[in-house]
Amino acid sequence: MSIPSRRHLPLLAGVVALAVWPLVFSSAYDLRVFTLAGIYAILVIGYQFIFGHAGALALTQGAFFGLGAYITGLLGAKLGWSALATLPLSIMGPMLLAVIIAAPVLRLETHYFALATLGIAQILLLVAIRWESVTGGANGLPGIPALTFLDVAVPGGLPMVLFVWSVVALAGLFAWQAMRGLYGRAFHVMRSNELLAASIGIDSARLRAVAFLLSAGFAGVAGALYAHTIRVVSPEVLEFHVMVACLSMAVIGGRTGVAGAILGAVVLVHLPEWFRGLQDYYLIAYGVALLAMIIVAPEGLAGLLGQAAGTTPSRRAGRIAGAVAPATGESRFRAEAKAAAPLLSVQAIGKRFGGIQALRDVSFDVRSGEIVGLIGPNGSGKTTLINIATGLYAADAGRILFDGRSLTGMRPAAIARLGIARTFQAVHLVEEMLAVDNVAVAVAARRPLRLGRALTRPLRDRAMQSARAEALAIMDRLGIVEAAWHRAGGLPHGTKRQLEIARALALSPQLVFLDEPAAGLNASEQRQLAGQLKSLAEGGLTLLVVEHNMPFLMSIADRMVCLDEGKRIAEGTPSEIRANPAVLGAYFGAASVTPGSRQ
Amino acid sequence: MTAPVSRQHLGRPGCLRQAMPPRHIIGAFGDGRFWAISALVLTVGVWIIAMKNTLAFVIALLGVIAAFRTLPAQAQSAGPIEVNIPVLVPITGYLSLEGQSQRNGALLAVKNAPAGIRVRAEVTDTGVAPEAAVNALERAAGRGPVTAVAASMLGTQMLAMLPVAKDYKLPLITVSGTAEITQMNNPYVFRFFPGDDVTKVAHVRYAVEELGKRRVALIYQTTAYGQSGRRQILEQLGKSGLAPVFEDGLEVQIRDMLPVLSKAKAAGPDVLMIHLHSGPTALLIRQAAALRIGLPIVAGSAMHQPPTADLLGPGELRGVCAEANASPVSGGSPGIERFVQQYRQEFGMEPDGFALGQYDGIMMVLDAIAKGARTAEDVRRALSTMRYEGLAMSYRSDGTGNMAHSAVIMCFDGSSRTPRIVKRYDNITGALSN
Amino acid sequence: MLTLQLLLNGLALGAAYALCALGFVLILNATGAVNFAQGDMVTAGGFAAVALATVWPVPGVVLLPAVIVLTAVLGLVLSAVAYFPLKSRPPVAVFISTIALGIIFQNTANVVFGPEPRAAPPLLGGGTLRLGEIVIGSQSLAIVAVAAALIVAQYLLFARTQLGRHMRATAQDRDMAEALGVRVNAMIALTFALATALAGAAGLLLANVFFVTPTDGMNYILKAYIAATIGGWGRIAGAVLGAMLIALFEVIFPALPLLVPLPAGAAWVFSQTVATIVLYLALLAILFWRPQGLLGESARRRA
Repeated sequence: MSIPSRRHLPLLAGVVALAVWPLVFSSAYDLRVFTLAGIYAILVIGYQFIFGHAGALALTQGAFFGLGAYITGLLGAKLGWSALATLPLSIMGPMLLAVIIAAPVLRLETHYFALATLGIAQILLLVAIRWESVTGGANGLPGIPALTFLDVAVPGGLPMVLFVWSVVALAGLFAWQAMRGLYGRAFHVMRSNELLAASIGIDSARLRAVAFLLSAGFAGVAGALYAHTIRVVSPEVLEFHVMVACLSMAVIGGRTGVAGAILGAVVLVHLPEWFRGLQDYYLIAYGVALLAMIIVAPEGLAGLLGQAAGTTPSRRAGRIAGAVAPATGESRFRAEAKAAAPLLSVQAIGKRFGGIQALRDVSFDVRSGEIVGLIGPNGSGKTTLINIATGLYAADAGRILFDGRSLTGMRPAAIARLGIARTFQAVHLVEEMLAVDNVAVAVAARRPLRLGRALTRPLRDRAMQSARAEALAIMDRLGIVEAAWHRAGGLPHGTKRQLEIARALALSPQLVFLDEPAAGLNASEQRQLAGQLKSLAEGGLTLLVVEHNMPFLMSIADRMVCLDEGKRIAEGTPSEIRANPAVLGAYFGAASVTPGSRQ
Repeated sequence: MTAPVSRQHLGRPGCLRQAMPPRHIIGAFGDGRFWAISALVLTVGVWIIAMKNTLAFVIALLGVIAAFRTLPAQAQSAGPIEVNIPVLVPITGYLSLEGQSQRNGALLAVKNAPAGIRVRAEVTDTGVAPEAAVNALERAAGRGPVTAVAASMLGTQMLAMLPVAKDYKLPLITVSGTAEITQMNNPYVFRFFPGDDVTKVAHVRYAVEELGKRRVALIYQTTAYGQSGRRQILEQLGKSGLAPVFEDGLEVQIRDMLPVLSKAKAAGPDVLMIHLHSGPTALLIRQAAALRIGLPIVAGSAMHQPPTADLLGPGELRGVCAEANASPVSGGSPGIERFVQQYRQEFGMEPDGFALGQYDGIMMVLDAIAKGARTAEDVRRALSTMRYEGLAMSYRSDGTGNMAHSAVIMCFDGSSRTPRIVKRYDNITGALSN
Repeated sequence: MLTLQLLLNGLALGAAYALCALGFVLILNATGAVNFAQGDMVTAGGFAAVALATVWPVPGVVLLPAVIVLTAVLGLVLSAVAYFPLKSRPPVAVFISTIALGIIFQNTANVVFGPEPRAAPPLLGGGTLRLGEIVIGSQSLAIVAVAAALIVAQYLLFARTQLGRHMRATAQDRDMAEALGVRVNAMIALTFALATALAGAAGLLLANVFFVTPTDGMNYILKAYIAATIGGWGRIAGAVLGAMLIALFEVIFPALPLLVPLPAGAAWVFSQTVATIVLYLALLAILFWRPQGLLGESARRRA
């Protein structure tokens, strides 16, 4: 697509507007404010990695920014080092701090993470104030030299505007390139549902750490440029209001897009300046404007303008539908002969939640290519068993072997990459993402996701295309390829269920846990699904199916295992199970329902 | 025990806010900005109720902003001599008490400008960030020729503004006490308040020579104000061969002074030196009185500000002394009394030494203009050579921009909240005598 | 003797922090969102008391109901402006809208009341009680008593009244409460009113001993946030406990050199700054070793 199409118009208009801005508003004051806007844009582009893409409310970005500014300030003002040395150090300093604090804080959940990061920022502020001999205390450090590279100084005014905005362009390009492909979509999956991300092998901890580091590095760049612009560094750069400004810019501009970061920074840096003449009242006006923008633009200003220009993702997607032809329906599943050795061996598993013994001494085997049904009344521990096998819970006793290898202590993402996929009882999809991409992400996650690879993708993203092609092929095989270019959230329930199965299959698994795959499907959909599952098993795939719908399950299962109150009470072929008095007593009898009556 | 709801707890009687916006500011709203903002607030209100058609709303919002941005500055009618003195001071944030004094002092000087001089004095808030101060200065410089600037008393902001002032060749008139601002070799700074290196001489000499104390407990704020004061106190004490027996720094948020007071007392001092902002100063003095700590207290300039004394009962203030450039409310000369009266009338509040210093500074600028200075450079030259008899003291540059060389020590005798000047230290640097 | 005095001071400070933190948790439970303007509601209570006392010079205890009503109304406004327009959006939107409201509030107070510290009237009478060596501010005792009464009142409201049960049901499961016929939005608005009224009461209590300035809110919200976290996210009792622990730590840690024998030269460790740093480090340690808080968390997680 080399010709700028209509969807590129807003982008072009934005770039032209940014280029024209400093020519129109060209007083020294306007240029300085515009320079600051650029610096904040860099800060926010960085912040979007952790806050927007990774979805973690980090309150350290202001501290990283201040640290970068202080490093430049200290080395520049006290030792007279040139920016050639101080700029890289200003980037590395915050990144180093990020590495140190990543291990303890990144695993914390939302509000704890926010508070922990806030605490770290406050400590840094106190150190800057009290370590007077080094930081100059509350007064700060004056006399920071202008930006100089190898004796070439970048004076204030237009040259500084050009320099800073070139860095903004580079930073924006970096962020866009990193996040436009499957890598960015993996982040999207992670922030919308971490459980789901783990189940398809996305290493959330690693992605979050990368995002945190990138945020810190970008904040360091912004901090260094800030120090060179203001020429004084004082504890104010570490104060909470810098963080608030950055957060507001990200929310008001838009959380993930580069355009949003730039828009947020430009608007929020200028807003108080426009209102400044109001003296005591200007911050009130600023607060009102901030509040109004949060309420008016839920997706940020970038989202609002995108809406106005008619470039919502779904419409865009419609235009490229069909650009990628479905690949051949060749089987990608690791077809293996039905071996005698069990593929999955559950050995004496026990699990307690508080006072409830959810599982007690449960053992059974699943052989390769088998379809095993796992049944039992509600609360009998079926889903708990799947959660233990996929690494979400740790068992209190016993172990599970997969292909002869113990899964104990492995993280969910690692288990997924071994070739164990699952679906969920409640549908877990990234609703605002295209159906095809919900599957393509899982295809991509078979290989560890690497930032470096994302950054070196050519403009025409072949990896993306082939992942989508493979996703389309899988969807075709399940008969849902027409849904591919729609947002997953808008699909009918039956299609969503099948999309979940498609996503599980995209991992090229040897074993798939299906948690109530037939729930909510009508009779013809159930028949279709049964046929598809059987053909998958014939292709060598092993399935463990949890289901309440007995006719459905008995029509496909080779063997069945029945749990009751956390214990295995029966195992055998469907006909054996149907005749087993223990099963009848515990399950059908107790519930006084006939098989299959449950919808 | 019924409540003796005294003046102490209510602040001054009368209106809620002592400083109702002065008439100048209300005047500034006549140009339509006030209405633009009201319209904005109203639009938002209507939108929140209507909750629809967001795009139209945003366009309207941007329209209002644009309209208000392009409002022309007030047209200048051809007057006798036109000068432009922007007032760039912190009227929000933790230094706003001092910043508002600066603003009021500057505006009062503008009002009292010598006949034949017409002054434009637009007030801009600098908050507490250096960035905002520099922006404000650049903005002021871009709006027509500037004669001089009434500049923030926050040291960090001054340090940030100085290089810019040098670029634009604009004299900055401030009352910042931060020692460093006149040590930057920048000819565009003029400080009309004794620097910390001057006030602390008075502070320490009073404690050591007048009170005869040698065991000092020093409590300071961990802000630019407190840290700079502490450095100078240590230096002056050192000159007398003394070192504090106790020192501790407090963050502005610290409210309970019992721990620090107990520790200070345990060190066995004979005098308490404090260098805290207004609120913490009052808290510390009140809690010290409640504990009957029984030590004389020599406080920093925040204690001389009337709002600080207003938080305390006269009894709590007994034996408390403070340093400053002057204490306008204590009277002393017909000029000062006139100033105090006019200030109260204009702003509905009591003036402090910062207001008086800023007043004197701007008056000196206007005096230079009356004597023939026309450009910023003329004013700079006049300020760096002239001697000026201000209300608080005589001012003359020492060559680095320090104009004020005198400090006073005032004490509260326990009968009222108005301090009495007990000691003047004139010409501490000797700059007035050459 | 000193220990007793420090404990009382810590308790009084903690009681005021607890009222603020309690309101913070109530809103958190009802909406899942952090109300970052909660600290400014403390300031609002202080200024309301200052303003009322100017026109009506009576002891604080008489002003207390009026301050509670005023700040409750402010809470309704807060919910109408900063929460309800955003209730279907991620909690971070409310986080920021309440920050914006805090900015508006602080600067309005700066314009109306001025930047100088102001003092509200004492609850009963000023002065101190002396028991031998110990000096007890009567205001400190009054703060503890009033805060305890308000916390008990809040508990009784939630435990014993139909209204309280509806508010609790809303906080536990909004959809379920709605299905059961609870007027959920009204309950949320009421929760905001209750939460800000508690903060407002804290403001009146603190504005006499510690004064009030427009920018105080930041300190209180940080303390409330930390208290809610170390006590257990969403735990009402935890927030109160957390607030007490923070306040006692703030008061006692810097005084440790006076309470326990320490080697000379170690005194600098107990400066106020180090106290603040240690508080944050302790917070990080608690988050690291016991992320569910001291009492365990109860706020439901939102997927």
